[in-house]
Amino acid sequence: MKFRENLRTKKRIVIKIGTSSLSFAGGRINFHRIEKLARVLSLLRKNGSQVLLVTSGAIAVGAARIGMTERPRELARKQALAAIGQAELIKIYQKFFEENNQLVAQVLLTKDVVTIPELNRNARRTLARLLKMELIPIINENDTIATNEIEFGDNDTLSAIVACLVEADLLIILSDIDGLYSADPRTDPSAEIIHTVKEITPKLEKLASGAGSSFSTGGMVTKISAAKICQQAGVDCVIASGYDPAIIFEVLEGKKVGTHFIAGQTSSVFNLFI
Amino acid sequence: MEKNKKRIRIVVRIEVATLINRDGKINRRKMDRLAMVLSDLNNSGKQIIVVSSGAIVLGSEKLKLPSIPPSKIDMQALAAVGQAELIRSYQRSFDEYGQIVAQVLVTSDIVDYPQRVENTRNTFDMLLSMNIIPIVNENDAVSTTDIELEDNYPLALKIANITGADIIVIKSQENGNYGIVTGNEKPVIQVENEISLQEKIDALFGRNASSAVFPATVVFPATMNEIYSL
Repeated sequence: MKFRENLRTKKRIVIKIGTSSLSFAGGRINFHRIEKLARVLSLLRKNGSQVLLVTSGAIAVGAARIGMTERPRELARKQALAAIGQAELIKIYQKFFEENNQLVAQVLLTKDVVTIPELNRNARRTLARLLKMELIPIINENDTIATNEIEFGDNDTLSAIVACLVEADLLIILSDIDGLYSADPRTDPSAEIIHTVKEITPKLEKLASGAGSSFSTGGMVTKISAAKICQQAGVDCVIASGYDPAIIFEVLEGKKVGTHFIAGQTSSVFNLFI
Repeated sequence: MEKNKKRIRIVVRIEVATLINRDGKINRRKMDRLAMVLSDLNNSGKQIIVVSSGAIVLGSEKLKLPSIPPSKIDMQALAAVGQAELIRSYQRSFDEYGQIVAQVLVTSDIVDYPQRVENTRNTFDMLLSMNIIPIVNENDAVSTTDIELEDNYPLALKIANITGADIIVIKSQENGNYGIVTGNEKPVIQVENEISLQEKIDALFGRNASSAVFPATVVFPATMNEIYSL
């Protein structure tokens, strides 16, 4: 389809990697995965693209670091783990990116970046400057000082907001799911990946939330909502498996992998004031 | 009685110049000694919070710039680069002593948001109760207020107030005068190096003291002159 071919021209790309893609079950970092991701993104950057990485995993990594096996419920504990894990993560990212001669920058954002105009403007300018300096910004939510009413949902929404902030061409969400399925693939043998979505209809949203379906961890819901933000802002969005980060190349070659949410034909400004 | 003893909580404010060489690179040896002393203090039962600076200087070195560009937006970009480098350095050094650290980035206007202050206090309490040393810095990369290049003392003060610290330690290059910020109710100790930091804390609280039962003879100074007479 022509839509996939358009992905070949995308130059400013936000990649979001989920917790399950960058770490093992207990939250311990999957170094091989990060190494590969760093290699792929560095290559992209070197070839002239502007690349931003939205990472998750701070809380899980923090928990593993101190030997905690259960995900904490208490806000203060989550925030503490995020503070530990983020330091660990950024250290690892730096290491692998530098092995590819690529420098990175750490940017921690809060939800206010959406609601407060000054913060919004500030974030845009900083990110734009970092891109201009040929750096790869590694972005996460500033979980440590965030307030609890705000839930970004494993950073899917954050990645869409970042895509809007920098007026990206494309958002690629890497996760433990291959894409949006027509039914629960674990129970329905006829379930297939829906490769192209032109419009997110209520029916589709219901499918994603899989009322009653056990494969929906809530993860797909936030991804669909992120895709919706993108579509409305004129940003293409692809949800694909993070198992092998080289899939990013396939997406950019226009190959039919994952689910492609086609950018809406909107002329609206990338202003997101909720 | 015993059970109401609160652990001594110390904010250690690090000036960038004391850790970074003239060439803009981190002085590994100094960083290492600092990590050792702070880990020791932590192990002896004190709760330690580090307020650091240096992200922008490190960022500038990382990108091989001849000097720090004056525009705020450039400084913000450098802060984003340098902070990653800074926290990595702290981690490496503290790792040697098996001490886990955490990164806390706050914006200086945090005091304007009561909810955030409350959450931050809880986060610090949690980290400290886990024997983790938080390394705090300004979130310059996203700050909308003016960027303080050299002076992170105001931040140290805010953190000390938010976390209910007992004392602030300034590790400073200069032996001389350091202006007291008015409104500071926290006792402040100035130290020239890590060894005197350890000595002074021990002198103040006793080597194995973990709780803040201050000896009756200690007077908490309010002015620099009084601090020097300690």
